[in-house]
Amino acid sequence: MPKAKIVPMTLVAALCAAGLCLAADAPPQRGSAATASAAPRLSNGKPDLSGHWSNPYTPDMAAKGTVLDPKTRQPLDLPRSPLPDAKASAAGQAARTLDLPYTEWGLKHWKTYDPVNDGDYAGSCLPFGMSRNINSPHGVQLVQNADALAMLFEQNTWFHWVPTGGQKWPVDMPPSWSGVSTGHWDGDTLVVKTTGFNGYTRLDTAGHPHSRQLELTNTFRRVDARTIEHTVTVHDPRTYTRDWMNVRTWKLKPASDVVMEYSCEENNLGNLFSGAIKPWKPPEDDDED
Amino acid sequence: MKTEPAYVIAAAFATLGLGAAAQAHHSTAAEFDQNKPVTFTGTVQKVMWMNPHIYTHIEVKDGGASTVYHVEGGPPNSLFRNGWRKDSLKVGDVVTVSGWKAKNPESPNVGQATITAKDGHKIFSGDGPAKAAAE
Repeated sequence: MPKAKIVPMTLVAALCAAGLCLAADAPPQRGSAATASAAPRLSNGKPDLSGHWSNPYTPDMAAKGTVLDPKTRQPLDLPRSPLPDAKASAAGQAARTLDLPYTEWGLKHWKTYDPVNDGDYAGSCLPFGMSRNINSPHGVQLVQNADALAMLFEQNTWFHWVPTGGQKWPVDMPPSWSGVSTGHWDGDTLVVKTTGFNGYTRLDTAGHPHSRQLELTNTFRRVDARTIEHTVTVHDPRTYTRDWMNVRTWKLKPASDVVMEYSCEENNLGNLFSGAIKPWKPPEDDDED
Repeated sequence: MKTEPAYVIAAAFATLGLGAAAQAHHSTAAEFDQNKPVTFTGTVQKVMWMNPHIYTHIEVKDGGASTVYHVEGGPPNSLFRNGWRKDSLKVGDVVTVSGWKAKNPESPNVGQATITAKDGHKIFSGDGPAKAAAE
C-alpha cells in the first residue's frame, strides 16, 4: 500500500491560510498501480486534479511534429527553413529555423534572442513565466478545491493561483511575469486562460518569443487517476500569424516522490557576481506599445 | 550554476545519465569548452549540494603545486530522486574526473563531467545507492 503523499507542513499551513486546504474528499495519492482507477472527483462532481505530477520537460515547443492546429490537432505544415542570420541556438545544437508561423515582429524576436550575450532572465533567477514553468522538468504539485487550483512548481519554488469558481481579478492588475489566470470547466476539462504578461519571458528554453498580447490557454483533463491530458494553445497575433498548440501527457508521480525546495540563487548568485552569467536587464529598445 | 539555453545540456545529462527529467533551466552554454577536455585524479575536498547544480571540489597535487577543480554535477533534486546523496562522496575520497574546462582560463570549473571512483563506479550518474536500496 503506498504511503499518502507528503506535503511540507509549512506549505499546508500556507495553503490553508489561503483558503485552499486539501478537500476532505481528495483521494490519497497513489503510486504506480497495475491498473489506473477512474479520475477522482471533488464533492461538487468536478474532476480533482490534485496530485504531484510529472509534466514532460519541453525545452522546445516547436519540436518537429509537436506544433498542432488547435482545430484539427493535426501537425501544422511549417517551412522549417534555415535562418542563417539568426543567433546561435539556445537549446539543442540545431540552428534556428522557421519552425513556427511567425509574424515579422515574431521572427525578429526569434532570430535575435541571445541570452548568453544579452543577459539571461532565467539565469538571473527571475520568473520563467507561465509557459516555461509548465515546460520545466521538475514536476508540479496541483492542489484543488471547488473554487481554485494552486499550481506549486518545484522549479524555483514558484506558485501560480487559478480561480475556478468565478472569482474575478482586479481589472487593473499590473502586467506580470506569469500573467493572471482564470479557469472554467468545459465538461470534465479545466480550461485555464492566462493574460497580462509583462513580455519579458520566453515560451520555452529555446527562446520562442511572445508579446504582451499573448493569451495562453492550458487545458487539463484527468483521464484516469494517474494521467492528465494537457494542452497548451498559443494565441499571440503580434508574434504569430495563427494559433498553434502542443498536446502532452502528465503522469502522477509515485507516492515516494515529494515536491522539494528549489533555490536558483544558491549557485547562480555567485555566477552573476562573478560575471559567469550575464545579468538580465529589461530591454531598452522595447518595441511594443 | 548557470542557466539553461543549452546545446550543452543534452550532452551533459547524457553524460550524467540523469535523463531529460534532470535537465534544469540553467544555461551552461557559454561556460565550458568542448575543445578543452580534461582528465585528472584527485581528492574530494567538499561537495556543494546546491541548486541549480551541485559542485564537487577536487584537489589535484602535482609536486608542490595544488589545483582545486570545481566539478559541476546535476540538479540536486534530480540527483536525490535518483538515489544520490551529498555523502555519496566523502571528503578524502580519491576519484578520477573527465570533463571540459571552462572557457575562462581563470575559472576552476569543469563541466560535462564524469566522476569515477577507484572501484570504477560512476558517482552522481544513473541510479544511486539510496534508490537501489529502496527497490
